[in-house]
Amino acid sequence: MTLTRQLLTYIKPYRLWLTAAFLLILSTSLAINYLPLIIQRITDDCLMQTQQPIPPRLELLSQLSILYVLIAGIGHLVRYLQGLLTAYIGQRIIYDLRLAVFRKVLTMHQAYFDRTPVGTLMTRVTSDIERLQNFVTDGVVGTLADLFMLLGIMGYMLYISPPLAGTLFLTLPLLYSLLVYINRNLRNANRDIRDRQAAQNAYLQESLTGMSTIQLFNRQATAIEDFDQKHTQLRAAYFQEVRWFSLSFPAVEGAQALASLLILGVGGILLLNGSSFITLGIFVAFLAYIRDFFRPLSSLSEKASSFQVALASIERVFSLLNRQPDIQNPSTPIIPPKLNGTIEFKNVWFAYEDENWVIKDLSFRVEPGQALAIVGATGAGKSTIINLIGRFYDIQRGTITIDDINIQDFDQTDLRRRLGYVFQDPFLFAGTVQDNIGLHHPHLTQTQIQQAAQTVNADPFIQQLPHAYESQLNERGEGLSLGQKQLLVMARTFAQNPELLFVLDEATASIDTATELLIQDALAKLMNNRTSIVIAHRLSTIRHADHILVMRHGELIDAGTHDQLISRDGYYRQLCQLMQHSHQTTD
Amino acid sequence: MRLIIDGLTQQDLEHAQLYQLLFQYLLFGITAVIFSRLLRKIPLKLSHKAEYHLRKDIFAHLTRLDSSYYRTQRTGDLMTRLSSDINMVRDAIGQGLLQGIRTIVVLFSALIVMLLTDVQLALIVYALYIPMVIIFFLILRIMRRRQKELQEKTSELSSFAQESFSGIRCLKGFALEERRNQQFTTLNQGLIRKNMLMQATRQSLWPFMAFWFGVGMILILNVGGRRIIDGQLTLGTLTQFIQYLLYMQWPLLALSWTSSLYQRGVVSWGRVREMMEAQPNITDSTNPHTEPLPHHDITFHNVSLQLDNRPLIQHLNLTIPTGTTLGITGPTGCGKSLLAALTARLIDPTEGHITLGSIPLPELPLDTIRQKIGCALQEPILFSRTLEHNLAFGLSQPNPDRIAWATQTAHLDQDIQRFPDQLQTLLGERGVTLSGGQRQRTAIARAIARQPEILILDDVLSAVDTQTEAAIMQKLKPIMDERTTLFISHRISTLQYADTIIVIEDGQITQQGSHQQLLQQSGYYAQLHAQQNLKQQLEQNP
Repeated sequence: MTLTRQLLTYIKPYRLWLTAAFLLILSTSLAINYLPLIIQRITDDCLMQTQQPIPPRLELLSQLSILYVLIAGIGHLVRYLQGLLTAYIGQRIIYDLRLAVFRKVLTMHQAYFDRTPVGTLMTRVTSDIERLQNFVTDGVVGTLADLFMLLGIMGYMLYISPPLAGTLFLTLPLLYSLLVYINRNLRNANRDIRDRQAAQNAYLQESLTGMSTIQLFNRQATAIEDFDQKHTQLRAAYFQEVRWFSLSFPAVEGAQALASLLILGVGGILLLNGSSFITLGIFVAFLAYIRDFFRPLSSLSEKASSFQVALASIERVFSLLNRQPDIQNPSTPIIPPKLNGTIEFKNVWFAYEDENWVIKDLSFRVEPGQALAIVGATGAGKSTIINLIGRFYDIQRGTITIDDINIQDFDQTDLRRRLGYVFQDPFLFAGTVQDNIGLHHPHLTQTQIQQAAQTVNADPFIQQLPHAYESQLNERGEGLSLGQKQLLVMARTFAQNPELLFVLDEATASIDTATELLIQDALAKLMNNRTSIVIAHRLSTIRHADHILVMRHGELIDAGTHDQLISRDGYYRQLCQLMQHSHQTTD
Repeated sequence: MRLIIDGLTQQDLEHAQLYQLLFQYLLFGITAVIFSRLLRKIPLKLSHKAEYHLRKDIFAHLTRLDSSYYRTQRTGDLMTRLSSDINMVRDAIGQGLLQGIRTIVVLFSALIVMLLTDVQLALIVYALYIPMVIIFFLILRIMRRRQKELQEKTSELSSFAQESFSGIRCLKGFALEERRNQQFTTLNQGLIRKNMLMQATRQSLWPFMAFWFGVGMILILNVGGRRIIDGQLTLGTLTQFIQYLLYMQWPLLALSWTSSLYQRGVVSWGRVREMMEAQPNITDSTNPHTEPLPHHDITFHNVSLQLDNRPLIQHLNLTIPTGTTLGITGPTGCGKSLLAALTARLIDPTEGHITLGSIPLPELPLDTIRQKIGCALQEPILFSRTLEHNLAFGLSQPNPDRIAWATQTAHLDQDIQRFPDQLQTLLGERGVTLSGGQRQRTAIARAIARQPEILILDDVLSAVDTQTEAAIMQKLKPIMDERTTLFISHRISTLQYADTIIVIEDGQITQQGSHQQLLQQSGYYAQLHAQQNLKQQLEQNP
């Protein structure tokens, strides 16, 4: 029930419009269902009154016809407006929800993204929301519209002829349950199709990616056989669907025919017996009502069975919206005007999960303007350190402070705005080069962006692109080399002018020496006059650092300047030798 | 119905007659329902059968295509063709056939019957229908255009969301959430606008149709009514006409739907056809060599290979005699793994040729070549089936002893003991996820279980720890000695088991010799050795 209440909070802002929509529904169902009544009057008063003189009957016929066209015109126009209004309300609600979901996802914590595949998140924003939309417009509003229609018709039927209406209503429960039964089976068949289709697709996907393996092991024949088995199951599910589908329309048609038969039978007998309850016009009008009677009925039965599917989506969307972010902002964040740039770790312990400590009792301090390098073998926990400062993850024990303020007392967004990250894997957004550097920052001018690019040596290659700074890039940055992408990302960081800088600097095999030199130069300029922490893999970067931490399995094992450390004939010296060697073998 | 109404009108109908007519109506009704069901069931079932056969044939065809095809195609794209495109073709056949037949039958029979019943009224109906159909199609066309725009907007929005989610690190790192949210808001607003434009057309369809039919009905009542008053027409005929008018409503609606279905079906069929017309480049020769091979020496004669205009292997000459092991090493991307692919004829060289037992590979049947090869790769493809299925993947008949032997050799037996269902354990998403080392060892076991004449091991121990590696190599050594083996590796510790080692850099052999010989030369091999020694020291240091 809380689910419904939550959905209602999204619907509430539009309650006035919804009321208007219901009023429109009410008036169209009254207007449109009045039409057969006119036909009844035409039949009875104009056509059947054979004893009466002809001219007044003709006049009445014309009058009633004009009335009919008028009511029909207004009725259908109102119906159109009502359709538009309903669609608009649905769109607005979905607009709010989609925005809420998107905003919510962006506030989620890094660990959440580590666990949740992008595909799942996409499903929430796209298909789940779409189902919700259908639920609101077709489902809730549609059901009410159908109900009103049905009640309208029933009301008119009762009004013109209680006995005929009663006869017809008797068949209702039977027909409705028949329709619900068929639709339920149809939905089950559809669920089977989805499941089996998924199984078959998984098999296909695997076979296609592993085709070489299949061919190497001469397993083509068995692969075809296995596929055929899954495929036959899918076909069986489809046949089942055809079976119920092919029944659903004829069932409605049959019901309609049966109802007509009943009316013809009962009405015919009543007429023959000379009953005063019924006239021929009523008879004809009833036949018209029957047709309109079954459309809302069958659409109601369809909706009854599709509600459950929609509910699952709604549940998923709201459970995402209700999730508490793992990292909370403090109630009164400290927002210092400008950072000096002291970073301090005090007895920090951190594990991604349980007690598998990635950082063990780490303490160090970086003074303003200093460049700190962190070295160690892969898996020593180096890159975790810079992620912890940006609060991508929260530590379990100890404290991290910037200018002696605990990072948990900062506003997250404000904190990250002051930090600049240069990652290994350069991420580009779809858009122009300029937007990729400026990131739509409101105060960055074009000149500033170009200056940033010039400083980090990115300007020359950008100028060579077809439209220079206006060139469009796609997400994967096609057409740019890895080195160029890294330079672009550095220009971005430079343009954002962060107060603290974190660099993940890895010598990459696929970058040529010339670009490599440009990148190193750019790095030096970025680090100039800024407190920076570099996860270093290049000896050249390490030598420039003011202070070096040597990490091993999450522990700090040594610290000092390059000269101090190298003189100690320890782990650090071996690391340096290894770096030298790997540089040669990867070239 | 007309008879009943007329009878009632003239008040000359007897009870018995009424019952008889009602009974007739019932019979007709039942027949109509049954007929209507069959009309749906037969073409739909037929379309599913066609879909089934089409997809079956394509899958079989795909198993024959070689890696040059798969290299140029994205799996996602192939999947789309195999699933939604074929479904689209099926719908065009099934629904197209169904609605097509229905529309034509209903429309024409109704038109003819109307004409026969009353010419004047029929002409009114025709005159009404023609402009309606034209307007209807115009609205539909607008709707389709707007639908397309809407779809573009939707995909724009979802790629924006996709980009935001996959670039979340970057986004958070630069504190871009607020700006991203604003951009999303703008996109979202655009989507609503497109959606409303679309709704404005779509919502108009039904009221328009209903109104038009209403006008039609009242016109007929008016014209017909006047004639009834004049006594020229019976009320039954009039009612009958109105009924026909209603019958024609749906087929008309369906007609437009069918035509768009058909158009999409044609586009999809083109994409499916493209896939069926792709021909494998690597096929059996028309006159294959079927006699048993005298030996299993592998020789590369001046072999060069270019892919996408990039030279990957240049003028390579090499012989691996039966029963020897060739170690292959070199930097990442040097073309080592291509040697394995060339030997298994997954790719054909651009220049030169490769012989197996002195017979050029293209003259041997593909089945024969692959029957002789056991291949294990660094990142092996395992299938989401039981472990046993994966291990016996290369065996034509299940052979528990062979599998037991292979798992022991690959040091997999103890892992298997720890799995919940031992050999029957499911792998993959719904089962056990193997570690990198376990996957590699499974691949080794799978390759040697075939007891092949030629063994190709492509960096299969990279994720296995040093101790296990030594133990596996001890057991693999005798197996390698009986066979012609290509052993690709980055690790000196495993390369030293090879009889001859070659170093490949930029597609060429730069060093060749035994472990000892190569150590004495200055070059890549000695570098690699020094580096790995250092690394080992680092690991051992406290």
